This record gives sequence, structure tokens and C-alpha cells, in this order.
Amino acid sequence: MTDLPGAEAGAEDLVRAAPTAPLGPRSGDGRRRLRDALMAYLFLLPALVTFAVFAYYPLYRLFWYATHRQPRFRNRPPTYVGFSQLWDSLTSRDFAQGLLHSATFMLYTVPLGLVLGVVLAVAAHRRLRGIKVFQTIFSSTVATSVAVASVVFFTLVNPEVGYFRNVTWLSLNDPTSAMFAVSLSSVWQNLGLTFIVVLAALQAVPEELNEAALLDGFGPVRRFFRVTVPLISPALLFLAIVLVIHALQAYAQIEILTGGGPAGSTETLLYKIADPKNIRSLDLKAGLSIGLFVLTGLVAFVQYTLLSRRVHYGD
Amino acid sequence: MSGVTFQQVTKRFGDVVAVDQLTLDVLDGEFMVLLGPSGCGKSTALRMIAGLEEVSDGLLTIGDRVVNHVPPQDRDIAMVFQSYALYPHMTVARNIESPLVANKRARVDADERERRVKEAAATLGLEEYLGRKPGELSGGQRQRVALARAIVRRPEVFLMDEPLSNLDAKLRTQTRLELVELHRRLGTTFVYVTHDQVEAMTMADRIAVIADGRLQQVGAPQAVYERPANLFVAGFIGSPPMNTLRGVVSPGTPAAVTTPSGTVRVADRGTAADDTEVVAGIRPEDLSVVPPGGEGVVGRVENVELLGHERHLVVSCDGHVLVVRQDNGEPTPAVGETVTLAARPEHVHLFDPAGSGRLN
Ligand SMILES: Nc1ncnc2c1ncn2[C@@H]1O[C@H](COP(=O)(O)OP(=O)(O)OP(=O)(O)O)[C@@H](O)[C@H]1O
Ligand SMILES: [Mg+2]
Repeated sequence: MTDLPGAEAGAEDLVRAAPTAPLGPRSGDGRRRLRDALMAYLFLLPALVTFAVFAYYPLYRLFWYATHRQPRFRNRPPTYVGFSQLWDSLTSRDFAQGLLHSATFMLYTVPLGLVLGVVLAVAAHRRLRGIKVFQTIFSSTVATSVAVASVVFFTLVNPEVGYFRNVTWLSLNDPTSAMFAVSLSSVWQNLGLTFIVVLAALQAVPEELNEAALLDGFGPVRRFFRVTVPLISPALLFLAIVLVIHALQAYAQIEILTGGGPAGSTETLLYKIADPKNIRSLDLKAGLSIGLFVLTGLVAFVQYTLLSRRVHYGD
Repeated sequence: MSGVTFQQVTKRFGDVVAVDQLTLDVLDGEFMVLLGPSGCGKSTALRMIAGLEEVSDGLLTIGDRVVNHVPPQDRDIAMVFQSYALYPHMTVARNIESPLVANKRARVDADERERRVKEAAATLGLEEYLGRKPGELSGGQRQRVALARAIVRRPEVFLMDEPLSNLDAKLRTQTRLELVELHRRLGTTFVYVTHDQVEAMTMADRIAVIADGRLQQVGAPQAVYERPANLFVAGFIGSPPMNTLRGVVSPGTPAAVTTPSGTVRVADRGTAADDTEVVAGIRPEDLSVVPPGGEGVVGRVENVELLGHERHLVVSCDGHVLVVRQDNGEPTPAVGETVTLAARPEHVHLFDPAGSGRLN
């Protein structure tokens, strides 16, 4: 009997206390903030671990290798030789040559890939007759691995039995044409992506804008360059950056089509770093990697700042 | 300057007939409004004038030139789109001057171009925005830029497709006045598409009412309001819409229509024969409450809507709902009360219930 009122009062207290409980007592404020912060870091942890394992640590090792000399005998530890070794790598003939080849590869693939992608997308957008066939052929690489696509391309340009073995400007045996042949295969492999992105951008341009331009009196060419191109420029910028980075990172198509040859004429910077025949020293390759890393970042930065001034990002 | 003539113009999209044998004469310098409900084909008609849609059948003339196969840029028209269709990457000044840069026939030298852009901007109060991009303007300002781009080339015909529909009510009223003023000043032919009867009534020299791709009636706003050609126009123009009552024409004079809920006197029975079924149309302002027992239709007051400057009585008469417009001074019947309503006989419209055409 005496317990009952007490129990009731206890229950009432609980009910009354409940709404204020989430706010907590004043002294708990700091503890809560700490708990929130810990919680946030907990959520960040997976990403941080991934970055640490696959980006930050390798980057650190890269610098480590670039500044240490590998001993002639494996039972000795590498010795620190300083940044002069990195400097030597970056001024080496390998770096200059790799850079030149990468630049050539970029020059062949990026503009051609962009232009072809835009032409194809515009044709598809206008629903040209028979475009479906081309669309399928050119986008087929989106669902294919680089290796498979390269093997397919190789059957075309194979110097002995390929369908185009007599086409001199595609010859893999000639140092001047080999790079172009490899580039062409890359252009084809990237075309699906370019096509899809440009087509999506074209479809986002309001039809009324084109009609307004038509009524204003702009002909088809000026309509394209004055209205369409500025409006799809964000997509073009995106593609330009992606294609440049693809070009800097191209590997499988080179390995499959030419193996870097003939006479090293298709050895891009990345190919020299990957070094499938293992002919270069680890410290040189580490140095080249750092060069490529800086270069990639620089290219993306320059493209972004230069182009974004002329790119229209809607209103 | 020149007018626009449709002669039996038809536009088909596959099986859909968007515009059906439209015959319409837009006079030189006239403000013509194409009015109709959504999907009736008014935009399609306008786009045919612009050359954005091909004419499937019939003849379309601008001035004295058949333009069926003349490309849009050679038609000497300017169009204002509902979405304004400004070039988002160009400044206001470059937007306005674009027709002068683009069109070979309208092209002028740089000084003249600048002068005209300034003039158009001044006309529409846009001088301080010339350096901005459309994204940095309000809806009303964008709309004015679109208008400036249209007037800068001094076209033969202005086409506008619901240019006010993206503006708020106040700005719409203001811009309506500005457009009428602009038309008066330029004296150019305007063809203006809207589904808003208030816009049509306030701006038009003449209204062309379209439904289902077919022209229903053309005329001055007041004429269309006073003598709608058929039941569709009667119901579409006027707010609240015209009341309709089915009944039978009683023999003898003066003429009257007998409905289940009472008698409606008609001043002019037109071609309606004795004992035939008709639909009597009465505008809310032509109905009034009369003392009980008088001649009229009897119904029950369902609702009284107070609008401040007037009242609307909603009365149900044997299944029909009638709306009566009352001045504030008149006595208000209570909701639920039974009232007798009489129409002004000279303002009763008679329609054929089958063909829906006007009888008187
Ligand atoms: N490109 C097209 N293809 C097929 N049908 C179309 C096309 N354009 C319009 N139509 C059809 O033609 C009819 C008239 O369309 P229109 O755009 O002229 O209507 P509207 O009167 O302007 O309506 P709204 O007030 O909604 O703009 C509609 O039934 C529409 O579905
Ligand atoms: Mg429309």
C-alpha cells in the first residue's frame, strides 16, 4: 500500500523528465560535442583508411624510393642519397622522351576524340538516318575492357595478317605511324564515353533556344558555335580533362599493340614507369612517377582555371 | 508592316490534327489574340506563322507573300517565347542585338546597332541591366529583354506565346498595359497567344477563340462577350461563366423558354422554332432576384460569395447551378432560402443544344 503512491510518483517524474532529457544537463555539453566529433571521425575513417593505404602511403614511398639508392646486393638496406637523385630522374633522357611521347599521344587523341564524339552526338541528336548503326558501333567500347578492344584493334592493324597491314599511316612497324595507330585505337575506345556525355549535354539544351536563334537568323553553323557549344561547354571541359588524363594513363593499348616499340617510339611516360620488361631502376621509376603526378595535377589545374573562365555553367 | 492570313490552314502531327482548316485574317497593325484552352492548337498556329512548324495544308500569307515554304529567318517576324529563350551565356546587350547581328536582311553597321539596342533598352527600361547575364535578372526583367530583342529588329509581325504566364499577378497586370502601350506606339501587327481570357479581353483589338484546333469565333472582345457564337465561346469567355438552362421554346409572343424550374423571357427568339429544345444562356450580371411569385426560375440559395465589391449568389435550380452577380446594395438572401430569378430578356442568348450554334 505504501509503495503504490511512491511508484506512481516515480512514473510521473519519468514522464515529466522525458521531454527535457534530450537537451541534457549543462555540464554534458562539452562531452556531447566530443562525442559528435568522435562520431564524425568514425564515419570518415573508412575513407581515410582507403586514402592512406592507396594514396598517401604510396606517395610517401614514392618519395622515399626517389631519394634512396637501391643497393647492388639485396641484403643491404637502401641508402639515402637526397633529392639530387630525384632531380636527376626528372632531367633524364627517359623523362624528356616519355614526356614527348605522352604529349604526342595526347595531341592525337584528345582533339580528335572530342571532335568525333561531338559530331556523332550531334548527328544522333538530329536523328540522322542510319545513325543508330554508327552509334552502336562507336559506343560498343563503353562496355568493353581496354584489353579486349585493343586486341580487336590489333586484328585490324596486325603488321602480318591485319586487314590494314598495307595502310602505311597505320603501320605498327614504323616509328612515325605506330604512335598514331595506337592513338587511333584510344580515340575509338574513348568515343563511347564522349558520345554519351555530349549527347546528354545536347539534350539538356532547351529546344526554344535553338528556335530563337533560328528566328534571329543565325544559320546552322553559327547556331551551333554561338548557342550550342557555349551551352554544352561544361560537358566539353569535363571531357577534355578526362581525355587528357586517359591519355596520360594509357597503358594496356600500348602494351598490346606495340609493347612500347618500335624502337621505344610509343613509350609514353606512364609506359616507362610501368616498365613491363623491368629495364629501369626503381629510383628512376619513382622519380618519373613523381613527375607524372605533378604533371597530371598541373594539367587538370590549368585546364580548369583557363577553360572555366570561358565555360558557361547555366544560370 | 503587314497582316497575316490563314486560308484553310491545317496542321497534322501524325494522326493528331492540331489545327483544323483555320481561316483567319489578321489585319495590318492589329493586336490579334488567339484564345483557347490548353491543347487547342493556338501555339501550333503561331508557330506556323513563325515557320517553326510546317503547314500541312492550306495557304499562309504574311503581307502579300505566301510563306508556306519561306524559312523562318526570311519571314521578317519576331517571336517572344513563354520561356523567353534568352541566350544564357550572353549579356543582355548581346541578347538584344542578336537579331541585328544574325539576320542578313536586318544586319546594320555597328553604330546603328548600338543606337538601336540603346533605344530598345530605353523603351523597356533596361538600360542599367545591359551588362548583366539573363541569370542575374528577375522574371519580369527577362521578359522585357525578350521583348527588347523582338522590337530591335523592327519586324513586320510580332508573335508572342503566353509571354506573361511566368510573371506574378501584379507584374502581369502591369506588363499587360505596357504591351498595349508598345503596340500603340509601334503600330505593328501583333499575334498573341494566351489561354487567359482577361489578357485577351484587356489587350486585344480582336479575339480569335479556338477549340480543338477549330476557330470558334473572331471579333472584338466586347462583341464576342455580348454575342458568343456558340456554347463553347459562351462558357469560355466571362468569369464567372455564362449560366445555361435547358428548356423548350413556348409558342406565342412575347417569346419565352420554359424550363423545369420556371420561365425565362426572351426578347429575340431568332430562328428558334416553337416547341423546340434550346439552351438559354444568361450572364450572371443579367440575372436578378425578384419578389417571390414573380415570373422567373425558382431555386435554392446554396452559397453567397462575398468578393468585397460585389456578391455572387450560387443558386441551384433543378440540378442546374446558376450564379447571380449582385451589387452590395441589394438585399442578400440567406443560404437555404428559396428565391425567384429573372433574366433581362434582351440579354438572353439561345443556343442549339445539338450543334451548339447560336440561334438568336
Ligand atoms: N510536335 C508535336 N507532335 C505531336 N503532337 C503535337 C506536337 N505539338 C503539338 N501537338 C499536339 O497538337 C495539339 C495542339 O498543341 P498546341 O501546343 O498548339 O496547344 P496549345 O493550344 O498551345 O496549348 P497550351 O495552352 O497548353 O500551350 C495538342 O493536342 C498537342 O498534343
Ligand atoms: Mg501553347
